[in-house]
Amino acid sequence: MESMLSTKDLTKQFGDFTANDKINFSVREGEIKAIVGENGAGKTTLMNMLYGDLEPTSGAVFLRGKHVRFNSPRDAIANGIGMVHQHFMLVPSFSVYENILLGAEIVNERIPFLVNSKEEKQRCRELIEKYGYDLDVNEKVANLSVGEQQKIEILKMLYRDVDILILDEPTSVLTPQEVDEFLIQLKKLKAKGKTIIIITHKLREVMDVSDSVMVMKQGQVIGNVETDETSEAELAQMMVGRKVLLTVQNDHKSVDGRTVMLNVNGLTTNDAAGKTVVNNVSFHIETGEIYGIAGVEGNGQSELVKLLSGMMESTSGSVVFEGQDITNWWVNDLRSKGIGIVPEDRFAEGLCKEMTLCANSIAGSTASKDFSPRGVFSTKRIRDHCQTLIDEYRIRIADFDGNVSQLSGGNAQKLIIAREMFKSPKLLIACQPTRGVDIGAIEFIHRQIIDFRDKGGAVLLVSSELSEVLSLADRVGVMYKGGIIGEVDPQQTTETEVGLLMAGAAPRTEATA
Amino acid sequence: MNRFNLVKLANSLLPVAFALLIGAGIMVGMGHNPLEAYGIMFGRSLFTVRGLTNTLHMASPLILAGLAIAVTFRANLFNMGVEGQLLFGGFMAGIVGAYIQMSSPLLHKLLAFLAAAAAGMLFALLPALLRAFLRVDEMVVTLTLNYVMMTILEYLASGPFRNQGAGYVSTNTIRETAMFSRIGNTRLTPFFIISVIIFLLMWFLQKKTRFGYTVEAIGKNPQFSEATGLRVRRNIVKLMLISGALAGIAGAGHMMSHEFNYTLSFSGNPGIGWDGMLISLLGGHSPLGVLIAAVFYSSLKTGADNINLYTGIPKEIVAIIQGLIILFLSIQLIEQRFGPVKRWRAKRQMKEAERGSVE
Ligand SMILES: Nc1ncnc2c1ncn2[C@@H]1O[C@H](COP(=O)(O)OP(=O)(O)OP(=O)(O)O)[C@@H](O)[C@H]1O
Ligand SMILES: [Mg+2]
Repeated sequence: MESMLSTKDLTKQFGDFTANDKINFSVREGEIKAIVGENGAGKTTLMNMLYGDLEPTSGAVFLRGKHVRFNSPRDAIANGIGMVHQHFMLVPSFSVYENILLGAEIVNERIPFLVNSKEEKQRCRELIEKYGYDLDVNEKVANLSVGEQQKIEILKMLYRDVDILILDEPTSVLTPQEVDEFLIQLKKLKAKGKTIIIITHKLREVMDVSDSVMVMKQGQVIGNVETDETSEAELAQMMVGRKVLLTVQNDHKSVDGRTVMLNVNGLTTNDAAGKTVVNNVSFHIETGEIYGIAGVEGNGQSELVKLLSGMMESTSGSVVFEGQDITNWWVNDLRSKGIGIVPEDRFAEGLCKEMTLCANSIAGSTASKDFSPRGVFSTKRIRDHCQTLIDEYRIRIADFDGNVSQLSGGNAQKLIIAREMFKSPKLLIACQPTRGVDIGAIEFIHRQIIDFRDKGGAVLLVSSELSEVLSLADRVGVMYKGGIIGEVDPQQTTETEVGLLMAGAAPRTEATA
Repeated sequence: MNRFNLVKLANSLLPVAFALLIGAGIMVGMGHNPLEAYGIMFGRSLFTVRGLTNTLHMASPLILAGLAIAVTFRANLFNMGVEGQLLFGGFMAGIVGAYIQMSSPLLHKLLAFLAAAAAGMLFALLPALLRAFLRVDEMVVTLTLNYVMMTILEYLASGPFRNQGAGYVSTNTIRETAMFSRIGNTRLTPFFIISVIIFLLMWFLQKKTRFGYTVEAIGKNPQFSEATGLRVRRNIVKLMLISGALAGIAGAGHMMSHEFNYTLSFSGNPGIGWDGMLISLLGGHSPLGVLIAAVFYSSLKTGADNINLYTGIPKEIVAIIQGLIILFLSIQLIEQRFGPVKRWRAKRQMKEAERGSVE
């Protein structure tokens, strides 16, 4: 069969570390190819080489059977290969159309220095319409949800008329509804003749959308299968090398002597534009309890987390932690009271890419005596601590003394969770804790959260992954338009019922599903 | 890792190398032997006892001024007001030195240093608050305030505090108890040792303490810093104050070890504060880099006199070299802060890609 894009013994080394080891990859014209594998398996690295972003150490790339060499993404795009990265690269202060056309501005015919923005907007509108998206070309990217930003990334490539579209974990940032819509879009793109390579950790999506699958592990290809000849369980086993539980083992164990850990009362706040984004939110979390927040992304969950983690100020309402009023406290005070925070945006708020693994491993606890027993950092203690986190969470690293930028997406997330859990907090605020994490590690992280709960910890779990919230949480509040529209017991509620609430339907008692 | 360090080193060495090369070209053009000139310049300012001690003496305030700027640069703050803070500090030390009578030389100097540090901090406070709470660009504010400060000091020195006996604008000479004495028969004074101690302190803080961590984190990712509980605003104010204090101390030391009264050319031309900026850039904003760059730069300054003395080359050649270093470094600075080249390249790449796909 005709192979559109393929590699022969493609290898990439970072120093002594081999991230891709003699990869033979091939995608057929017009198919959707899924690539799966654990965090750090080398998926992104491989794609970056195909996209000209990384130079292979050895091996070759073939496009339509012809040997090609891309020195930069620009070469790749010129040859019809486009890529949307795991972490977006948009300019937040630019509008939608400016971002789509960045670097490809349409200039005024008479005055070549001036950008013809009327024409630009028009073309963008046409493009958006052609692919059936729903976007306002004038909106600033900073005001858009992640899902919408991703659409722009894809449109950017479509505008440049690529034949092969590489998508690195496109769905890990989307809400379930957005994912469904996205998968339909992918099939449409395929119908339009595009060849698509998609990296994902969600096997359901692989089964749903792909034609064939390549499985990677520790820098090598360990399997190539046709999608209709395999199953989720088989893929999972291939990836991890053992049987993986695809459902969470949660006995909703009841801890004795529960007391209220966190009490949120009438919490309200506005965004910069003055719009009420969190509206009169009240709930409480007890010790030994996981309180889940479900909801369609953009209904105030992010802001609620920001309020509770000291990154935003409330206009009214109160937050009481262990009987103490902590409303609008600073982050450092919240942390020292025993609140662990796994933020939504890992590279903006969880980690500093340009600092070392060690420096990141003590973020949030730099004042701790453990790391500076005599008022001065103890390099040895910090290194030991960092090594412990890496070992316990099996974080795959290339260079211990290097910066966090070397970590693959999932491993970066693991580092944050490891760090926050290590402090044995009393309350853990976990926002999208398993976003972009491989199935083996998801199982592990879920286990950690449940163990934490069983030992009496309180957890606030915010996730756009409905199944995650429903299987982990003991109680679930559903957010809609900034408020909690209803509270349900996940053991007695179906996804459909919650889905209705998420869409703003009247509370459960009246819903007859 | 290593490659990264090499790039950093090249960033510092290349501007210097280019400047020296062009300087050599000019000398050849004028019919002089550049090798001989450079030999004399650096040979005499670094490899003779007299020259070296001179160089180190001149380097003392430069080290502090360089550190004052470096500490803010690392946090991605730009205290361009070091010159003004340094002048203010020097002036205050001059007043304390001249008008306050104290029997203990040690206490007198200490008091002068304290007054200078306070002056520097005071003068850094306004831009710090503006930046931390109203997000006013501190670069513009501090830059402007330099001129305000120069004007105020000019007024004070030529009016209320003028030394009537002097034939030019100057304050009274400080008392002997406020003067640093020379070490042996070199020009070095204990102020050099103070500078080195402060350098060690800054190096230690940077490397080994929460303070250094905070500075680095704020410089690299303010949002991350805030989210992990480093109080960004508070630390911005703190950093600017530290920077102001260092600048003030540099001025005081210069006053008590070199100038002894405040004149309109107190800090020379370009001022020590401006030199400090250059030194910080040359030193890659690391304390050790600043130390080395300060000594190098000082040797260039003292070398200028030697070039005049021992060769027929006009000493202005050194000013040209200084100017060239500044030019090359500014290009680097602009790129660092605003990244026009990077942006332009990215844009061009996309553009060419676009063109490629149209074909
Ligand atoms: N620039 C780099 N320097 C050093 N090591 C790197 C660099 N980039 C990636 N690596 C290492 O190469 C390995 C593969 O990384 P890659 O990003 O390809 O993983 P991935 O399969 O995409 O994982 P994930 O699912 O977590 O995104 C990782 O162990 C990572 O630490
Ligand atoms: Mg990846």
